[in-house]
Amino acid sequence: MDAHDLTAAYALDALAPDEAEAYERHLSQCEECREQLAELNETATALAFATVAPAPPARLRASILDAAAAERTNVVPLLRRRWVARGLAVAAAAAACIVVGLAVSLSQSSQPETVTASVVLGPNRTATLHISGLSAAPSGKTYEAWVIPKGGSPRPAGLFPGGGSTTVRLRGTVPRNAVVAVTRERAGGASTPTPPVLFSTPT
Amino acid sequence: MNRQLAHLSDEALVALAARSEQSALAELYDRYGRTAYGLALRVLRDQALAEDAVQEAFLTVWRTASRFMPERGKASTWILTLVHRRAVDAVRREQRRRADSLDRAAEPAVEGAEEDAFLHLQRERVQAALRHLPDAQREALELAYYGGFTQSELAERLGQPLGTIKSRMFGGLSRMRELLGEPGTETSWTPTT
Repeated sequence: MDAHDLTAAYALDALAPDEAEAYERHLSQCEECREQLAELNETATALAFATVAPAPPARLRASILDAAAAERTNVVPLLRRRWVARGLAVAAAAAACIVVGLAVSLSQSSQPETVTASVVLGPNRTATLHISGLSAAPSGKTYEAWVIPKGGSPRPAGLFPGGGSTTVRLRGTVPRNAVVAVTRERAGGASTPTPPVLFSTPT
Repeated sequence: MNRQLAHLSDEALVALAARSEQSALAELYDRYGRTAYGLALRVLRDQALAEDAVQEAFLTVWRTASRFMPERGKASTWILTLVHRRAVDAVRREQRRRADSLDRAAEPAVEGAEEDAFLHLQRERVQAALRHLPDAQREALELAYYGGFTQSELAERLGQPLGTIKSRMFGGLSRMRELLGEPGTETSWTPTT
């Protein structure tokens, strides 16, 4: 049996268990099939969107989230005394955008806030920073993004006022292994970052 | 509903889920739960079984988010593949597959008004692409994907050699891919806010 011609059936989940196992063994050694499967899998999944169905019962959402919470006992606490950076990088191939997600949780005085941020690296190492939940900078202040090349000095990468959801196109490119960081600065921005770094993430 | 994650890409949400951010899992469910349930219901034809399949798939997302590799494909593809696999496993286990699995008349009528505009558009696009396929290819795709039949079962059911079934599935998916890839038919999730 030639495993090459099983890609479409595998993408449709139309193989018997022993056939699927044999195909998966082949897949681990065949780059061509891996690429073709990625394409056909996406197309097969499009068929999911053709179905017509009523909305699922509301209890399903609650049931999933309850079960998820029960499984994970090491849930990251949402409230922290100070800004806490939680950076993580998701490695991705050059073709696709690389998404670097970081969630930041903080509480200031009695008002807890949750800030979420992500850095999306596009082709050619350009990048955008997406932030939501960050309160607007006080009068006379601004937020400033920085790109810090590995072993280099921080480079100003853009100013933004915060408040609501913000997308900042980072100035210049983000070299491999650089860190993207955000600080609060005086209006007009600074040429070097003023501590504390509110959050940062490796890329 | 907390939609403060609404601006994040699906892939960023998976990365957050890997860090035990429950709100990220909730947002993924809000984006794909309805499609997931519709798919599972189409395959399984049983609400309780469909709910089980969707729940198991989303819990698999939660458990294995850290192993998701964006270079291998979109997060939505990964999630719906998990749902489909669960549903197909269950239908084979339960022997609930029915000869009338293509009987569209048996599908519940759904009003579009309550449905997300994005989902509505997606459905019309994919249904249009399906209509453009030769009948034999469309039949093979629908019986395999919605009916949960294996390629060997399909060959027997349709009275065709296995090689013919394989070509119909491959030809059908390839043609679908071309049709869906035509300009102006972007399929990825685009947040509206």
